[in-house]
Amino acid sequence: MIVTNIEILPDKRIVQHLGLVQGSSVRAKHVGRDIMAGLKNIFGGELKGYTELLQESRAEAMERMIEQAEAVGANAVLNVRFSTSSVAAGAAELFAYGTAVVLE
Amino acid sequence: MIDLIILVTLLALGYGFGSYAESRHYKSIIARENTLRHIPAVTSRFPPMNEGSRDAALVSGSVVVSVDYFKRFIATLRNLVGGRVTSYESLVDRARREAILRMKAEAEKLHADIVFNVKLETSSIHKGRGNSIGSVEVLAYGTALKTDQ
Amino acid sequence: MKYSNPQIPEGINTSKQHPLKEFFMLTAGVLGLIVAAVLLLGFFADKLAHHIPFEVEQRIASKELLAESDPGPMQGYLEALTEQIVKAQSLPEEMTITVHYVDDDTVNAFATLGGHVYMFRGLLEKLPNENALVMVLAHEIAHVKHRHPIRSLGRGVVIGLALSMLSGTMGDKMADQIVSNTGLVTSLTFSRDQERESDKTALKTLMALYGNVVGADQLFEVLQEAEGAMKLPEFFSTHPLSEKRIQHIHAFGRELAHSTTEAQATPLPLDFPDWLNLAADDQGHE
Repeated sequence: MIVTNIEILPDKRIVQHLGLVQGSSVRAKHVGRDIMAGLKNIFGGELKGYTELLQESRAEAMERMIEQAEAVGANAVLNVRFSTSSVAAGAAELFAYGTAVVLE
Repeated sequence: MIDLIILVTLLALGYGFGSYAESRHYKSIIARENTLRHIPAVTSRFPPMNEGSRDAALVSGSVVVSVDYFKRFIATLRNLVGGRVTSYESLVDRARREAILRMKAEAEKLHADIVFNVKLETSSIHKGRGNSIGSVEVLAYGTALKTDQ
Repeated sequence: MKYSNPQIPEGINTSKQHPLKEFFMLTAGVLGLIVAAVLLLGFFADKLAHHIPFEVEQRIASKELLAESDPGPMQGYLEALTEQIVKAQSLPEEMTITVHYVDDDTVNAFATLGGHVYMFRGLLEKLPNENALVMVLAHEIAHVKHRHPIRSLGRGVVIGLALSMLSGTMGDKMADQIVSNTGLVTSLTFSRDQERESDKTALKTLMALYGNVVGADQLFEVLQEAEGAMKLPEFFSTHPLSEKRIQHIHAFGRELAHSTTEAQATPLPLDFPDWLNLAADDQGHE
């Protein structure tokens, strides 16, 4: 499975477009992390707990997108985009979408 | 004590109506997805130049969906212990598919055959109100084209 | 190049877990955690507050005090009883009890920081005999003896701080409600434990002073009546249910092989009703 955010792969020809595939994941960290992040806000710096949260979310969103692509018989997802939103306080939503294609 | 009764009532109402509304929404989404299946939506920016694409037009669709009390309650608890907030997953899923469908419906009205360069934006419009309402707004937009295929 | 739009299977972007199952697991888990945390914090705060010297308590209390009570026959009677009870409960030297007679219809009596005990006319009017009155007074003095006011204060501060920190970070009204209400209900168990402890001490005092525990159950019958039909489950209440307290008294009586009804109750002084009224009249003239 090739996942890229460019639209045309120089060495591959697209045989078929299979439409939009998307993956999303909403995750939250336990309240201890929230409290630590709140304290960290005083001193500044990286909020490791939240970085981790976003990474986990992103990985899961990608996984789900790829799962959709596989389900429709694609072997690549092109032009992938990510977007983040906060549906609830302390929870992060990561969303990945792209075009599923069959490459030669 | 009275608080508890109110809470249980709200939870029961939320669960009953929420799951009914959700399953109905899913049914309608799946039905409309099937009728609009002839219009693919893709994220690529470049339509094929040799196939006589014409009549480019911006199409968009947006929707605001809110969760029910029951799901919000679960999400709040989940927020304390961490992990996957499953009760919001179906919310955003429904919102995205609905927004894409509305975009496609607009494309269909223009007799377009395909939507290019689709982009999706998610935002939560309730932000100013202390996160008291769990709702999402999804905007889907792209360029509808006619092709001579 | 071909464009097609195949159907994507359902359920990839959503979890399959049943919401009700998740609900019950989460509710049990989160509430369990909050309850455990509150009990733990409360326990330690309670232990620590116990070591605060009584002197400090008196200093805190002096700021929020009502004015000195007018010396009247009722005040004198209560003070005399207090003296007996203090001796019977063998309170430490530095622990001074100040009893206040409050001319008010409220059916209540309470003990607060610094050994101040307040007795309301509303309650005294309803008491059938001296034993019941001593039960009330001994119960309140037992609160002071066991340092309950300062312990509740310490506990309240610690638990309140912890809960507000928790709900503050959540920044969500619903989370705030869940956390604070669960915490509140949980911390009531401490309050009920204190009441039970005081009841026990008060019964022992009655035993020491009168050789029986007559009248103690009558007090709670009076309270039960005052509560009326509006009854909360014990779980939501600061005091154990009156019925249960009566049961305990009867059990206590049986243990000592004394029936709570056989022995003769010590009547209240003959002038007692007049004293109640006298105090009321005094207020009326002012």
